[in-house]
Amino acid sequence: MTQLDAAMKSRFDQVRALYPEAQAAVIPLLHLMQESTGKADLDAQRAVSEYLGVPLVKVHEVVSFYTLFDEKPRGRHHIMVCKTLSCALRGSQPVFDALVRELGIQPGQVTADGAFSIEAVECLGACDMGAAIQVGDRLHGQMDEEKTLRLLKELKDRGGRS
Amino acid sequence: MSPLLLTRNFGDAQALSLEGYEAKGGYQALRKALAMDPAALVEEVKRAGLRGRGGAGFSTGTKWGFLPKEDGLPRYLVVNADEGEPGTFKDRPLMEQDPHQLLEGIIIASFALRASRAYVYIRGEFRQSIARMDEAIRQARAKGYLGAKVMGSAFSLEVSTHPGAGAYICGEETALLESLEGHKGQPRLKPPFPAQRGLFGRPTIINNVETLCCVPHIVGMGAEAWAALGVEKNGGTKMYCVSGQVAKPGVFELWHGTTLRALIQEQAGGPLPGRRIKAVIPGGSSSPVLTADEIDVRMDFDSLMKAGSMLGSAAVIVMDDSTSLVRALHNLTAFYSHESCGQCTPCREGTAWLHKILTKIVNGQGAIADLDRMNSICEAMVGKTICVLADACAFPVQSFTRKFRPEFEEYIKSGKRWSLTGWREESPAPGFGGGH
Repeated sequence: MTQLDAAMKSRFDQVRALYPEAQAAVIPLLHLMQESTGKADLDAQRAVSEYLGVPLVKVHEVVSFYTLFDEKPRGRHHIMVCKTLSCALRGSQPVFDALVRELGIQPGQVTADGAFSIEAVECLGACDMGAAIQVGDRLHGQMDEEKTLRLLKELKDRGGRS
Repeated sequence: MSPLLLTRNFGDAQALSLEGYEAKGGYQALRKALAMDPAALVEEVKRAGLRGRGGAGFSTGTKWGFLPKEDGLPRYLVVNADEGEPGTFKDRPLMEQDPHQLLEGIIIASFALRASRAYVYIRGEFRQSIARMDEAIRQARAKGYLGAKVMGSAFSLEVSTHPGAGAYICGEETALLESLEGHKGQPRLKPPFPAQRGLFGRPTIINNVETLCCVPHIVGMGAEAWAALGVEKNGGTKMYCVSGQVAKPGVFELWHGTTLRALIQEQAGGPLPGRRIKAVIPGGSSSPVLTADEIDVRMDFDSLMKAGSMLGSAAVIVMDDSTSLVRALHNLTAFYSHESCGQCTPCREGTAWLHKILTKIVNGQGAIADLDRMNSICEAMVGKTICVLADACAFPVQSFTRKFRPEFEEYIKSGKRWSLTGWREESPAPGFGGGH
C-alpha cells in the first residue's frame, strides 16, 4: 500500500466526493500527485489506484493517453513552447532553438541541476500572444530570442518551482 | 466598436468578485430566470436563435429540448471548456476575466434543464481559468447562489471544475464525457446521443463556454432584443479570435455578420507592415482555407458555409506573402496526426500518412503525384470515422492543395526545404526535434 500523508488523503477525499463513480476521480488525483512530486510515475499511479479501488492498468492507461502526465520527473520549471501554426507564424522556432541551445537539453531531458525541462506542445490557446510559452501556470507572450533568454535568467535567479 | 455584452467586464478586476459582478448588474438575469417556468426558459433560448459557439452552430434551445422528461434520477449539464482548436482563445478570457458571467449562465441553464449537478471540464493547461472558476463557485456557494435552495428558491445545484490533461480530442463532446468519467478520451458511437445517455449513463447536455455566457444576456434583455443584435438566423454577438500575421492579434466581440475583411483590417490592424495577405483560415485550423480574394464573406455560420468553409470556433488565422503555405499545412498535419486518438483506422492511419507525405515534400523530396495521393487519402477519411477529427485534418489538406496548387508544385519542383516564413532555404533538419 502506497502511503498518502494526512493532508494528501484529505485532498483526495474532497476530490472523490465530487463524483458518483470512483474512476472519474483518476485525472484530478493524478494532477494532485504530479503537482506534489513532479511526476505521475508508477508509485503515483499505484497510490491513485489503491485509494480509488480502480485497477492499476486503468490508471496507467490514462497516464499514457494524456500528454500532461509525465512518468519521468520534470524540471522545477517546465517550459512549454507552443509549436502550432499561429505561434509558428510569429517565430516560435527561434524561441525553441534558443532554449535548447541555452539549456543544453532536448525535450524530455532535465538540466543537471533539476531546474529546467522543455517541451514543444500543441496549441496553448494563447494564439494572440504568439510566440507563446507557458511555465507552470504562467503564460508569456510575444516571445523572441532575447525575451526568452531574459526569462530564463529571471527563473534561474528566482529559484523555486513554477 | 466598444465591448458589447460578453466582454463588457473585461479588464475590470472588480468583476472577479461576486459583489463587483453584481454591482454591474450581474445575477439579475438569474433572479428573473428563477421566477420563470423552466420550459419557458428553453423556449426563450430557442426564440433567441442562439447557436452553439463551440463550432457546430447547432441551435442551443433545440439541443436543450432533446432532454427526456424527468425521472427523479440525476441529469447533468457539462460545460465544454476544453478550448484547443488551433487559433481559438475566446473561452479562456471569458473564464479568467468574467468567471461569474459563465457561472450565471451555468446556473440558469441548469435550472432550465432541471439539472442539479454541473461539471465544468477545463483544459488542464488553463490553470488560471480553473483557479478563477473555483473561486467564483466558492463565492456563489457562500452567498447562497449555489447549493441547496439557490437564491431561496426550490432549485438546488452543485457545480465543480474538472481538469483535462492535454488531449485535443476531448473537445469532442462524447470524448469529453469519457475523459470526465476517467477514461481515455475516445469519442463514443452515436446514437445514443448524450441527451439520452451521457455522463455516468444519464441524460446530459454539453455546452460551450461562450454559448452559456450568452444565456444571461438573452434572459436579461429578452430573446428578440438579443437576436436583433446579429443577422438573420445568427443572433446576438460573437467572440472572434484573430491571430497569425496581423498587426494587432486579439479577441474581439462584434455583432454576428461582420465581414472577414473588416475583422482583419479594422479590428486586428490589418497585415504586418509591408506585407500582403495571402491566405486566411476563417474558423479554426480545421476550416477550409480562403484566398485573399475570398475574405469579403460575412462571419456567420450560414455565409461561411455558402463560401465553402465554416465559422467553426470563429478563429481567424492570417498568413501573408512571406509565408510558405506548404510549411503552414505541414504544421497543421503535425497537429492532427499527433492529436488523433487512434480509435478509427481512417483517422489514425490517414492523418499519419498525410503528415509523412508532407514531411517528405517539405524536406525537398516530394513528387507532384504526392498531391493527388494526399487527396485520395483525404477521400478515404472524410465521413468515415466516429468523430470529425479525420475531416478536420482532410479539409485543410484538400483546400490548401486545391486553392494554392501552383505554390505546392513550385515547392516540390525546387527540390529544397524552405522556411515557414521569410523564404529562406533550410537544411533538412526537422524543427522542434520532431515532426514539424
